[in-house]
Order: sequence, then C-alpha cells, then structure tokens
Amino acid sequence: METIQNIYKVVSNEQLCPQYWRLVFDAPQIIKTVKPGQFVHIRTNEAGLEPFFRRPFSVYRAQKHVEIFYDVKGPGTKLLSLKAKGDTLDILGPLGTGFVMPLQTTKQVVMIAGGIGVAPMLILSDLLKTLKYELVLIYGGRTRAHVYPLKEFKDNGVKVHIATDDGSVGFKGRVSGLFDKIRIDPKTTFVYTCGPNPMMKAVQDFAGKNGLKGQAACEEIMACGLGACLGCSIETTKGFKTVCYDGPAFPLEEVKFH
Amino acid sequence: MKISVNIGSTEFKNPVTVASGTFGHAERYFDLEEVKRLGAIVPKTVTLLAQVGNKPVRIVETPSGMINAIGIENPGIDAFLADKLPSFKKIGVPLMVSILGHSPEQFLSIIEKINQQEGIAAVELNLSCPNLNHKTLVAQDPQATETLVKAVKALSKYPIITKLSPNVTDISDIALAAEIGGADAVSMVNTFTAMAIDIKTRRSKIGNYTGGLSGPAIRPIAVAMVNRVYNRIKIPIIGMGGIASASDALEFIIAGASMVAVGTMNFINPRAPLEVLEGIEAYMTENKIDDIKDLIGSVQQ
Repeated sequence: METIQNIYKVVSNEQLCPQYWRLVFDAPQIIKTVKPGQFVHIRTNEAGLEPFFRRPFSVYRAQKHVEIFYDVKGPGTKLLSLKAKGDTLDILGPLGTGFVMPLQTTKQVVMIAGGIGVAPMLILSDLLKTLKYELVLIYGGRTRAHVYPLKEFKDNGVKVHIATDDGSVGFKGRVSGLFDKIRIDPKTTFVYTCGPNPMMKAVQDFAGKNGLKGQAACEEIMACGLGACLGCSIETTKGFKTVCYDGPAFPLEEVKFH
Repeated sequence: MKISVNIGSTEFKNPVTVASGTFGHAERYFDLEEVKRLGAIVPKTVTLLAQVGNKPVRIVETPSGMINAIGIENPGIDAFLADKLPSFKKIGVPLMVSILGHSPEQFLSIIEKINQQEGIAAVELNLSCPNLNHKTLVAQDPQATETLVKAVKALSKYPIITKLSPNVTDISDIALAAEIGGADAVSMVNTFTAMAIDIKTRRSKIGNYTGGLSGPAIRPIAVAMVNRVYNRIKIPIIGMGGIASASDALEFIIAGASMVAVGTMNFINPRAPLEVLEGIEAYMTENKIDDIKDLIGSVQQ
C-alpha cells in the first residue's frame, strides 16, 4: 500500500494576483486518486514546530501536477509563499470526502464561490466539462485585488459571473445579487458552493427555498486532517461531522452554518 | 537487542505506542505493515454511552502545541466493541482500550463488557480528561483513585493502566494511590488545563471555555513528572507529553518510563511513532545497550 504521507517537489509557486498564490508540486500518486473537493495537508515548517499545525488546502487542479490556490493569511501560508522550485514539502493527501456528482437529470451546474473558496471549483469543472453540463461560476470577491483572471474556468467553457463588494469588477454587491443567473429547476440544476459561511448560508437558503440540491465544501481549522482528533467538527443535521474526514464536501442542506 | 517490556503479565514487543485520541482510521490511511511494528495501539477513549462531544471550536493552535476540548466524542462501548474493535484487532498489534466512566459504576459496567471480549492487551482508565466539566477528576483525588482502581482491578481480567492528570499538586501521590489500588501501570501525562483568549471579542477561543494543552510545549514538564513518579512507585510508567522524536522518547525512558506514547505529534507527523521506534533501536545499537531495561530510569542523580 502506498502511504498517505510523502515528500513532494515544488514545481512552481507564483502570485496570481495581489491576493492569491498558486503552488504547483509534483505528486503523481495524488493525481492518480484525487477527487474534486478533496484536500492536501501541508507541513509548512518541516524543520520546526512553528506554526504547529499542518495547513489544509483544497486541490485546485490535478493534471500534470497538483496545484493549490491560497492566500497569504498567517505564518503558515507566509512560509508556503517562500517555497521555490525544487524545494520539498511534506504533504498528506489526498484527504477527505470530495464532492458527489450532480443528479442524473442535471443539465446546469452552478458553482458559487467566495474568495479562496473558488479553489475546489476548478478541479470540479475540469471533471464536469467532459460530461456536457452547462457550467456556471458565480464568484464573489471583496475587491478587484481578490478577483484573479479566472481564465482556466473560461477555458473550461464555464460561464463566469463576478460580484465584488466595491463594484470594482462585475456586479456591485454580494453573490446573492447574481442568483438570477441560476435556472430554478430542481430537476436540472445542481449547486456546488464553497466560501465564507454567511455566503454559503445564503446559497443554502436560496437552494432550500427553490428545492435545488447541492453540495457545500466547508473549511475549519484542522489538526490531524485524518479524522482522528475530531477537532474540526461542525454541526450538521446529522450531528457533529468532521470536515477533514466526513467532509469537506457535505450535502448543502445538512450543514448548519453559523 | 531486547526492547520488549512487560505490563502486568502482558509482554509488548517494543515500548512504542500512541496516546489515546490521537490515532484513527489506520485502515484507510496507513500502511498497516508499518503500524504492525508498533508495540501497542490505543484507540480513543470510550464511555458507557455514546457522547457527541463538545460544541466547536474544539481546537486551538498554540506555540509548539495545541489546546483541545473534544469532550470524548465516541460511539459508546457497545458500538465500539461491535463496530470498531474488529478492525483494530485485524491490525494485529496489542490493543490497549481506553475507557472513561462518569461514575465508578459506569467504569465497572464497561469492564464487564470488555471482560466478555478476547484479545485485548490492557485497559487504560482515563481518570483525567479535563474537558467534561466534572468538578474534580478522579485523578485529582488519591483516595478516589485508589478506591476506583481497586474495584476495577477486582473485576477486570485484563491488566489495568491508570492515566494520570498533571493538574495536581503532586502527581506522585496519585500514582502511588493507583499502585496501592493494584494498577499494573500508570500512563502520564494527560493534558494540562489551558485557555486561549480572543482579545478582540474577549471570549475564550475554545467552545468549552477551557481545554487541555498538549504537544512539545509540555514535554519538559512531563519528563520531570515521570521522573518524580518513577522514584516513588514500582509499577511501569507509560510516558507521554509532546514526544516528536526518538530523542524525546529516550528522555522519557531515561527519566523512568518503560513505554512511550506519541500523542499530539501524530497529527503533525503520522510517521512519528515509527521514527521513534527506529531511533530508539539505533540509539541502543550505537550505545551498545542490549536490553532496554538498562535504560529505564537510568538518569544520573
């Protein structure tokens, strides 16, 4: 059996826009099995204990190499941003339960993402584009600095709608202002969402009101990433569930967003 | 080279194990051939009835460690024995089952159920979880510890390990009480009661208000406690507290621990227990130590 913990080599690490970075590493073993919505758990300081926890990142793309999309928020992601081609990283993955596929009757797939929550949507669209769905991305960011070109989505044939809080790009306001782009038909529309909890709550309310099914990818601070410590539990209609093992992807209607 | 150690009548092929609550889903994630090399494994503590655990937030990252307040989320002893025990047994490593009762009667009910099972190496009594809002832990009261251990010992067909809390004035008083009660070993230490505050909201960062600190941050304190206990009792000690490497584990052994458990570091480096085992073997070879017993408690006064 192949082990879950391995040392991988960095292929590239670049800043895509003022807010976001993309790290690419060579991990054929992860490519073989990873599913959209799964994540990798990276030890950002292999030599020391600060920061102490690993940092979890959704897999953004897994084609020739594995890619993650991140923003430099604290000491862990700061260290990650200093990694250069040829450096090595101690990575666990792929971990967690990814997205389920749309319904058999689905025609329109709507991905609704806020900020860094766009990360699992690219690998999802890589998979779904081969299956002839109408793909829509509704993407919200705070300002222009938070909106990168989204070229890969457009290359995948995804119709992209952007909302920014300050109106510097696209619609001015929340992503909920773009919900009119969603075809309200429970039979043929399926929703995937990932982003801040208030945004996912709005998506859940909208989907619930209109009978739409979907999936939500959640984020929590994690220790083990392996379902062992039970530290990243969230409340769901089925009790506490771990984001790292039972999720990150959950049926949209089951998550209790706070 | 002899690295096997005994607890009660049970022999463990080597002294390296994992701390309760830090090891899970081996069947999905780990190379079982590697896991098989460990001296023992300890699943997460089970209670008589299922517990859902504490409300989030359950963990906070701290300097070289973490605070947790999980609240012993577990499926209860019946579900554990029916659903989880078989897959743990399949790994083929001696199992130390960690249990917690909210009363002496509950401990005894759990022991009765465990007595009906075959193939368990030892039972660990978790007398020291700090996250259940008990006013006093059993492991904070020598008399309660002695009485409980005595009652459990009289009933259990398996060796009994008593897990001690560091949140006491003198941990060796409690260790001695466990020994007098008939415990076959003590394991130490559980987490230190701890708190982290969000200065913006002036609220605790932990849903349960306080939690337990673990990880390398507590290691030197744990080593000192193991040494103090070693000097007062004769039964074996399973030492733990932030062990990240073989040299950390060797400190515990030289301080007086017969076995060592990797806990929180499993979350950071799942291969740590194996690295600890290999490192202990390498150290013994290098220093021409034929029997690990010659290392245990060998610290110079």
